[in-house]
Amino acid sequence: MATAAVARPAAKPQPRARDEEVLVWPDLVFIEFIAAMVFTLALFLLSFLMNAPLLDQANADVTPNPSKAPWYLLNLQELLLHMNAALAGVIVPTIWLVIMGAFPYFDRDNDGQGVWFGTENSIKLSIIGGLVGIVGTWFLILWDSGKLAFFLNDWFGFSGGDTFRFLENVRSIQTQLPWPEWSREITYSPWNIVIIGEDFQNLDFPGWLVEQGIPTGVMVAFPSLLIFALWRAGMIFTRRDAVIVLFSGFVGAYLVLTVVGTAFRGQGQELVFPWQLKVSEGIPGQH
Amino acid sequence: MAVETPAKPSLADRLYDKMFHNYLWKSIFRTGYPNTPRNQMLIVATNVFLHLHPTRLHRTHVKVTHTYCLGGLSFFMFLGLTVTGILLMFYYVPSVERAYLDMQNIETTVQFGQLMRNMHRWMAHAMVILVFMHMMRVFYTGAYKPPREFNWVIGVILLVLTFLLSFTGYLLPWDQLAFWAITVGTNIAGAAPVLGPKSRFWLLGGFEVGPNALIRFYTLHVIGLPLLAAIFMAVHFWRIRRDGGLARPL
Repeated sequence: MATAAVARPAAKPQPRARDEEVLVWPDLVFIEFIAAMVFTLALFLLSFLMNAPLLDQANADVTPNPSKAPWYLLNLQELLLHMNAALAGVIVPTIWLVIMGAFPYFDRDNDGQGVWFGTENSIKLSIIGGLVGIVGTWFLILWDSGKLAFFLNDWFGFSGGDTFRFLENVRSIQTQLPWPEWSREITYSPWNIVIIGEDFQNLDFPGWLVEQGIPTGVMVAFPSLLIFALWRAGMIFTRRDAVIVLFSGFVGAYLVLTVVGTAFRGQGQELVFPWQLKVSEGIPGQH
Repeated sequence: MAVETPAKPSLADRLYDKMFHNYLWKSIFRTGYPNTPRNQMLIVATNVFLHLHPTRLHRTHVKVTHTYCLGGLSFFMFLGLTVTGILLMFYYVPSVERAYLDMQNIETTVQFGQLMRNMHRWMAHAMVILVFMHMMRVFYTGAYKPPREFNWVIGVILLVLTFLLSFTGYLLPWDQLAFWAITVGTNIAGAAPVLGPKSRFWLLGGFEVGPNALIRFYTLHVIGLPLLAAIFMAVHFWRIRRDGGLARPL
């Protein structure tokens, strides 16, 4: 006789403690009902107070300045200002989603499961990770927009002159350093490889460095260094600890990128204060 | 000899009896209000809407501060968006000629049209935020650990689907905000190495945001992506039960 194969979880779930259990009706159903009602009422109230925006009819000939993606994609649009478009818009988010999806396969022990901040140091590590994410991202944005050099000059009278001009932002490493001519066209393949219309034969090294090399290096090195430093400082013991720092850093950076993209980017994607933010409706025929 | 006679039923009692103990009512609700533990478990196990729940759960999991109801509320937003979305579909035609006009009509001439649109918009924003916060809750309570690894992966997929649902809906008002946001958004997708330009073309049905893009986004928004999300949600909820309910310390 065939025996039914019963699907079982790979790892054993917790044993049940019946005397610790309560009934779903009424204990859970009641809470769910209240939460649903609170949200329904709050959203009704919000909908009475605030109308959804509706601007002029879509017109391909009139480009608003700045043109922005929906707010939850503005983190990517912000990233786009600092590096190669494919890297910022597609590769980084894809890799991050894969890394995030792989968390439970990397961090496998059951320590601290089912409780808020259940492991030792986890609150500290979350705060450190989050703060480094927030401050670090702000710092990088300010540097790359040239504001850091501007503040140094404007507030402290410090100027690097032409010697240090190449440190003003990422792009100036490409434009302000005396790169030899050959480095702008390095042939790495004897023949031209064409993949769906894209050529792969020559490399513009300074351009590659600024658009891909440095941004990738920063995004890989900063979290790695942070985790390494916290490990040496004796705060990170387990994989869970490392993942907490990584995830908290992501949340901090994600938050800053979204907020900056939404509230601090004015015309021409210039970095401005939120109260200076103006949107020009665009002039017909001008892109 | 005084014989104790039962008190005559009051008017309220008789009314209650007439309303809830009649043939019609009993055909719909087979039992009365479940006021014994046995009946309370039975109603959760046998009611079609409640049976996603277990009948009992650990007492730490009914504390609001454990989950903040974030996952449940994300699902509730999905349901609310379905309701308001269907109502909006009655008035909205996804063609370049009509879309913007229909939006204006929904706001000005349709009864409660503006309210429905506002609800749909704010619920969509709320859903994106709630899903993200739900992910943070699951992370910081360590609830992704074995045996719940795969449910976390499904959760990441649902996060992406939530973004896509919101993004496809963003174009539909066909105003300047919608048009340029989708132009910028699809340009980001178009920047993908090798496959970018092609996938952008497939998404838009052309090189620019136009009539083809509108009908594609509409179809994805009202049927394709919700269906996909519903399937993943069903698996997501089922896996919670299969993996032994919400995570708790060993």
